[in-house]
Amino acid sequence: MAKKKHGTEEAEKLEPAENGAEAGRKDTKPSAGQKIKNAFVKSWHKVRDWFVGAGRTVKGWFVKKKPAEEEVGPDGMRTILPNYNLTKKERFFRFCRSQSGWLFVLPAVILLCIFTLYPIGNAFVRAFMENYTPMNKRHPYDGWGFENFVRVLKGDTGMGGANFLQCLLNTFTITIISVPVSILLALLIAVALNSIKRVQKAYQTILFLPYLTNALAMGAVFATFFQIIGTRTEINEGVANLGLINDILGWFKIPPVDWLNPNMHAWGSGTVKFYWASYLAVIIYEVWSGLPFKILILFSALQSVNKQYYDAARIDGASRSKILWKITAPLISPMLSYLFITGIMGGMKQYSAIVGLFGPQMGMDYNMGTMVGYIYQYIDKGQTGYAFAGSLLLFLIIMAITGISNLVSRKRVTYT
Amino acid sequence: MAKETEKIEESAELQSSAVPSAEEKTVVSAKDSVTDQTVSAVGSDAAIFNRQGFNVNIEQERKRQTILHIFKNIFVYLFLTVCAVLAFLPFYWMIISSVKTEMEYRQSTPTFFPHAFKWANYAAVLNQSSGSNGSFWQILVNTLTVGVLSTVIGVIVTIITAYALARMKFKGKGVLFSLMMATMMIPGEMYTITNYLTVSDWQWKNSFTVLILPFLVSVYYIYLLRNNFKQIPNSLYQAAKVDGLSDMGFLIKIMIPLTAPTLISITLLKFIGTWNSYIWPRLVNDANWQMITNWVTGGFVDRGGVLYDGFYGTSEPLTTLKMAAVCLVSLPLFILFIFCRKYIMHGVSKSGTKG
Repeated sequence: MAKKKHGTEEAEKLEPAENGAEAGRKDTKPSAGQKIKNAFVKSWHKVRDWFVGAGRTVKGWFVKKKPAEEEVGPDGMRTILPNYNLTKKERFFRFCRSQSGWLFVLPAVILLCIFTLYPIGNAFVRAFMENYTPMNKRHPYDGWGFENFVRVLKGDTGMGGANFLQCLLNTFTITIISVPVSILLALLIAVALNSIKRVQKAYQTILFLPYLTNALAMGAVFATFFQIIGTRTEINEGVANLGLINDILGWFKIPPVDWLNPNMHAWGSGTVKFYWASYLAVIIYEVWSGLPFKILILFSALQSVNKQYYDAARIDGASRSKILWKITAPLISPMLSYLFITGIMGGMKQYSAIVGLFGPQMGMDYNMGTMVGYIYQYIDKGQTGYAFAGSLLLFLIIMAITGISNLVSRKRVTYT
Repeated sequence: MAKETEKIEESAELQSSAVPSAEEKTVVSAKDSVTDQTVSAVGSDAAIFNRQGFNVNIEQERKRQTILHIFKNIFVYLFLTVCAVLAFLPFYWMIISSVKTEMEYRQSTPTFFPHAFKWANYAAVLNQSSGSNGSFWQILVNTLTVGVLSTVIGVIVTIITAYALARMKFKGKGVLFSLMMATMMIPGEMYTITNYLTVSDWQWKNSFTVLILPFLVSVYYIYLLRNNFKQIPNSLYQAAKVDGLSDMGFLIKIMIPLTAPTLISITLLKFIGTWNSYIWPRLVNDANWQMITNWVTGGFVDRGGVLYDGFYGTSEPLTTLKMAAVCLVSLPLFILFIFCRKYIMHGVSKSGTKG
């Protein structure tokens, strides 16, 4: 009813304008009275429409509407127009249904909020709290500042144990040597593996075997390679078990090295020393355990290289080493840079390899500690302020390395 | 003179035959790369030399190339064999050490095959029931429970989250996804400290919950699976809709089977991750609630002097026992690797290319 009425009114509304137009044609100019009348009628219609609209809206709040109107399209298909003629409630439900994706991600989001996002924010706040003591409820911390960082970097945390600079040196030395060495070795092995046709699968299986190992268990096995069992007199008499590596060195008349005892073979003095023998042991283990992953990545990268490049190079008379360094390496350079960046980042976070080799004390009172080891040591000791500061420093170092390596790889890496 | 003309004739002959053969080879090798490459190399070399007016003894050159090829092959196989031996040596050493007697192990000259097999090492390790590390069976039950629960729940959460992120539209999806990606940049140690404080506050220590919940959601696996889901064409979704499949039905009946390799990889890697977890259980749980990797890092002694009549005392850690424990921990990983090698490598190579 209301619609019909409205329709007739609209027809009425149109009439004066038409009249005006006709009048215009007749007289070339509507009279002033006509103009005023037209304007008055127009504005009255506006006011009336507004009231009608408002009334409908108010009515809509109380009166339940018919279901969404179906419209017959030009092709005879009936379509339901979205959000057309819906009540607020229905619109709300429809909105909820469209947002039901949140329901799916909810468990993950809750867990991430509690165990990832909150801790990250917390780390940034807690690292700057000075002398935080959770027991003292009324006065839990002295104030804000960089005292934790200063103490961590200076090494006077008053707790003994690991020294941050020593841990930084250990981590950095081991990573900087072991990552390039293992990538180079992996590249050689992958190229060799790629060039053979017979028994390739068997070699592949054996070479990938160390991928799936327990870092601590295999660390214990490697520890037996380096460990010396026996007293000093037994070593001098030659009846002690020197470990496999020292036995091999013995063939070349090299005196036994106490690999797992950092203080025995150190360069430098003071609080920060360079424990070369222990570093070497860790590097050998890291290279062994990191190789399979790198071989796998490089091998699959090599297999996806177009063989035409090699044929072209060979026709131009390039030698094998030239092909390797001028064609293969640039073509797989994205993979090499990926391995390098992830290797460095993983190396910065190393922990279990050293625990496997040196035990949970990481050598003699954490002198073979890593940055992660430093953090865990202070969790164990209940001094979380230093742990937070250390973790923030680790984060900064990793960010810096990522930034630098991105800059370098943007210049050096060839993306085809 | 005669010899030289012969040579020239020969080279001319070879020139006429070598040039087309080189072309042929490139065509063939483009199609099928596994061709005899030395022949093509010699042919092309001869072609180049002859074009430049050099006289080369082709027979000699070919012989030289063949010998080089053989030497190269020998070198490559030798190199790979040495690497394979070095890769396998720790495993071999671990196995033989675990069955040696402690006396034999401590000899100054190492033996590469045990004189006598001492299987009692394994029995001693399995029956160690008290001390700094809990009993093997208790630890095994812990590890399996936590491993199965966290894998199953974790994979389900990963699937539904990845599905929502890949296929559904909701407000703030982009922000949520980039936030998740951003957390991957941050080293895990940073939130381990707060998590430790949180679970201490909530009195969650010494329970399975504390081992399962904090590491249930792995952003990386969600990202991996989401990319897999995104690759499924939209037309498949529409076809399924026409056939009257609901959204959930589409997820279960079409998306999960299509991404099965990735899902299996995720499941395996998650379980292996639990098996290898060390730091978190050591921080939050006592010996009887810890995991198998914590167990293996403990010292193994000749308890009660049963094995060697108290020769090594009852507090000196014995390497052979430790190697037996290491073998026990590594064995399931070996079995997984042998039977699921394809899937594990699939996951690994995926993570490589996606990085």
